[in-house]
Amino acid sequence: MAANGIADDSAKLQILKDALYDEIRQHGSETRLFGQQDLLDLNIIPRNDVTLLVRVIQALTDDKLLVGTTNHHAGLAWRWRSREEAKKYTSLPNDETVMVYSIIDEAGADGIWNRTIKNRLNMHEAVVKNCIKYLEQKGYIASMKNVEHPNKKMYIKATLRPSERATGGPWFTEGELDTAFISELESIVFEYIKTKSAYRGSQAQPGGAASSSGGAIKVPKKGAISSGEATPRGTKRAATDISTDDASPAPTLNTSRGGNAKSRAVFLPMPAGYNQYPTVAEIAKFIHDTGITNNTTLGEADIQQLVDVLTYDGLIEPVRVGRRRGYRVTRAMKQDTVPFHKRQKEREAGIGLDQPLVVGAEPLSNGLTEAPCGRCPVFELCEEGGPVSPSNCVYFLQWLDLEDVPAAVAPNVALPP
Amino acid sequence: MLVTKPVTELCALLIDELYGELPSRIFATLLSKGKSTLPQLALHTSMTPRQLRHGLAVLQQHNLLFYHLDAGAEFASYEANAEHAYNLVRIGKILEMIDSSFGAPAKDVMQNLLLSGQTRISDLVAAYQEKIEQANMAAALMGENGEVGSEANGVNGDSRPAKKAGPFVKSTAHLNSIICRLVEAELIDVVHPKTFESPADILKVVEKEVMDKYFPAGVKGNKAKVELQQRIAEGLRKVRGESKSLKRKLEQNGSAAKRRKLLAGLSGMTNGVHDDDMDPSLDPKQVIRINYEKCLVELRNRRLVQFATDMFSETTAYVYGVLLKLLTKDLPRCRPDPVMDIAEDEEENEKKGPGFVTTEQILDNLKTSVDLSLGIGKAEKRHISSSAAENIRQYPPEKKPKIEEAEVDGEASEDEDEDDEPSGEESDHDTDYKAPMMNGINGVNGTSGAKVKFDESAGPKEQRMDRPTQLRQHLLLLAESTQRFVRHCGPNEWTVDFPPLMNALREVELDSVIERTSGRQGLRLVRILRAKGKLDEKALPNVALMRKSELQQKMLEMQTAGFVDVQEVPRDVKADVKKSFFLWFCDVDRTLDRLLDTSYKTMVHCIQVLEALRQKEKDVLETTKRTDVRGREKDTMRKEYYERYSRFLECERRLFAQVARVDDLVSVLRDF
Repeated sequence: MAANGIADDSAKLQILKDALYDEIRQHGSETRLFGQQDLLDLNIIPRNDVTLLVRVIQALTDDKLLVGTTNHHAGLAWRWRSREEAKKYTSLPNDETVMVYSIIDEAGADGIWNRTIKNRLNMHEAVVKNCIKYLEQKGYIASMKNVEHPNKKMYIKATLRPSERATGGPWFTEGELDTAFISELESIVFEYIKTKSAYRGSQAQPGGAASSSGGAIKVPKKGAISSGEATPRGTKRAATDISTDDASPAPTLNTSRGGNAKSRAVFLPMPAGYNQYPTVAEIAKFIHDTGITNNTTLGEADIQQLVDVLTYDGLIEPVRVGRRRGYRVTRAMKQDTVPFHKRQKEREAGIGLDQPLVVGAEPLSNGLTEAPCGRCPVFELCEEGGPVSPSNCVYFLQWLDLEDVPAAVAPNVALPP
Repeated sequence: MLVTKPVTELCALLIDELYGELPSRIFATLLSKGKSTLPQLALHTSMTPRQLRHGLAVLQQHNLLFYHLDAGAEFASYEANAEHAYNLVRIGKILEMIDSSFGAPAKDVMQNLLLSGQTRISDLVAAYQEKIEQANMAAALMGENGEVGSEANGVNGDSRPAKKAGPFVKSTAHLNSIICRLVEAELIDVVHPKTFESPADILKVVEKEVMDKYFPAGVKGNKAKVELQQRIAEGLRKVRGESKSLKRKLEQNGSAAKRRKLLAGLSGMTNGVHDDDMDPSLDPKQVIRINYEKCLVELRNRRLVQFATDMFSETTAYVYGVLLKLLTKDLPRCRPDPVMDIAEDEEENEKKGPGFVTTEQILDNLKTSVDLSLGIGKAEKRHISSSAAENIRQYPPEKKPKIEEAEVDGEASEDEDEDDEPSGEESDHDTDYKAPMMNGINGVNGTSGAKVKFDESAGPKEQRMDRPTQLRQHLLLLAESTQRFVRHCGPNEWTVDFPPLMNALREVELDSVIERTSGRQGLRLVRILRAKGKLDEKALPNVALMRKSELQQKMLEMQTAGFVDVQEVPRDVKADVKKSFFLWFCDVDRTLDRLLDTSYKTMVHCIQVLEALRQKEKDVLETTKRTDVRGREKDTMRKEYYERYSRFLECERRLFAQVARVDDLVSVLRDF
């Protein structure tokens, strides 16, 4: 009777278990927490029998199909776990392994440090090590790297991908900041903004026979912009053709770097009130359309981060026209008209290796940065009478071309008046 | 001007360079010991009173000294005028500026004035008289050729020895007219007894006078304090005004001065065109000197034009130069005096700031040879939001403008959907509405039709704008810039807010120093800190997109250079270093101060290097001092010697140029 009762009871319990589990799965995702009242309200347990419910839940928890948690608001609550996952638990050989696995499981996408596991379980290190080794062999967990703590050995469930916080977002590759990727992308974004926010015209080469006897300022010669009118570049291009767009009068290195040509291509600032300066959304779209980042998805926030960096670098500046917040290149006139990737190719071909390849115009300079003192490593120590003094300064001798005294005579020595 | 150790050294070196060792030593002693009397000086320098008097006389002549004689005191006390001593660095720049804006003859006069210090007009006239006679005699001997030759020399603007300068000033009347023009431009002012007293002494005297006259019973209450301040400011202004007496006298002569002003315009081309006899003859007993304050205003204009060239095109910068010239014509100094000028503003609120310039004024002063269509890109009209471009800012940045908000809002929605296919009508409406308003207000006759042409000609040639419109384009571009070169303060009225603009320039200078010393990443980090304030070390790599290790290294490097600083904030009482926050920040003012100090030191080093070179090439230099060699170095010296000599001259030139370049930075940081 008793045995029969128990068997009957356990069969009933099994039915209730399955019914409750299925019903719970219908009612929400794996992360949803179910309190006691929620479970009663599912109308599976007859007569809202709390003790029966407790037994059913106990059975489910034993099967690892329900996970109990304590919630600050609702008290004790449960969430369900899939049958495959539960099977993993039940297949584990001993309790220690189960405990280790459950802790890693709870950590979720952020992963957990092995020291934390040890401390939390208060187990011997060797035991934890064994468990982890077993779990890793089984392919249940995987080790991972967290960018915030690159030296900590972390573990994560093998089925999960590390969270953004752990990987550091799209800028990280295998826990390292991918500077090559960033700088490449920066140059592309900068190139895009440059061509979109400045007008490509041509300008007569100043200098040569231009005599400036009266005015202090050399004024460019008349009627220089003529080719520009035919091709209003920069304003009418679709975002996609930018990378293939350098077929048109790409000036040779010779002309753009101050050769003898009559006119050279320059970027000119747009008139005030220009409202087509590219916005972050447009840049993001452009990057998306070109498909440069095929295995990483870059959101607008990521592009914003990139654009901000360019702004901090002083290469671009934000402009607000009306409500549109666009970005434009700074010092448009001083920008290189040859696209950046072309310059890179030139470098590969061995041209222009003497100049450093950086995005944007050459930085401004002033008297201080030109003099040896402005960059002198021992500036603070330098004093007449000291071990380092202006009168025995080697940097100044270099700067004045006096280093190898007998050899070099300055080429254009001017006579004193 | 804060007189620090490098400044003292620099001033002494400069005076040594120009006026010799004796005045330099006295000056250095005065700077280090402060106000001293003759016996005190004798004590400190161990020189005889006779030597001291000689030195003091030289310093006095060049206005490098203040003296003060208390009533009944036996000895006058002397004080160094470090400001003027520093200005000696700028002599070259000032001369070049005068050359380009007033012509070579004016430069020659100025040069003589600089060489001889403060001078009585009659002495100057006498000196020139002699030169002119000599030149005439030479010309008579050599015939036409000589005349032509030296004229060409003048056009080149090369520096020449003074003896060749004869033909520049053709007659005493010409000289007179040049002086008149320079006086009117405030570049020359008058020496009066008070110019020899230090500002502190003047303040003391004025204060005493005011107290005796208005407040014999002492100052009580806030109201009286304010009044006292006003009275003092008034008294100081009166003293300051004294040096402008000559200018006032000239201006009373009305018509001639006015006409000349119109002619003077902005280039030296007009000289010689107007007749010199129109100018009133000056009192020959008047003593004149160079007014560095006004020179600085002119130099600032030039620096700003250069700044605009860096940011925009040369054409835009040229327009800007014209605007600045017009705007600062009556601006006596770069920075208003805190005591005198602030009180003045309260009195007459109208005269606040440098006033404004209208588009027409600028147009009238532009050279006709300048093509204004250059330097600005073209965009289709529908891509231009004219209401955003024409945005008028009536008040300087610190006072929040409230007027154009509504305008911006109304237009913004239009902007947003303009992204892809803006309908032509919408933006047409924009300009239609704007154009009549512009014309209605300032009434540029004849040009109004052209302005509307914008809309009519939809064809390919629509871009041919007329000159006023082109000019406006440049001005609007300047106004739109992030540096705020120009403020569009009313319809077709333009002004410049110098303080914020100069701050922007200072920041640019600082940035370029940082970029050149710490690279672009260094600049990035500093600018992040400037934008965000104090930032935790852990938060920085994320914003800067830099590797943590690189970033830390860069930050340390910049901390050593003084560009950034770190603050440690412990998390708890134990102040565990591992747990503490490290907040990076940058203090721009402090960095700028440091930069200024570095600049002074750099200048000192340059001059010291030159001195070392002189020592090294002593034998060569001594040869060139011989009378039979001087002037014919190339022929008389041995080849090897001559090469050494010319190399030395090249180095000297470079070093002086470098000092002048560093001074550009100093002016921006300190004076503009």
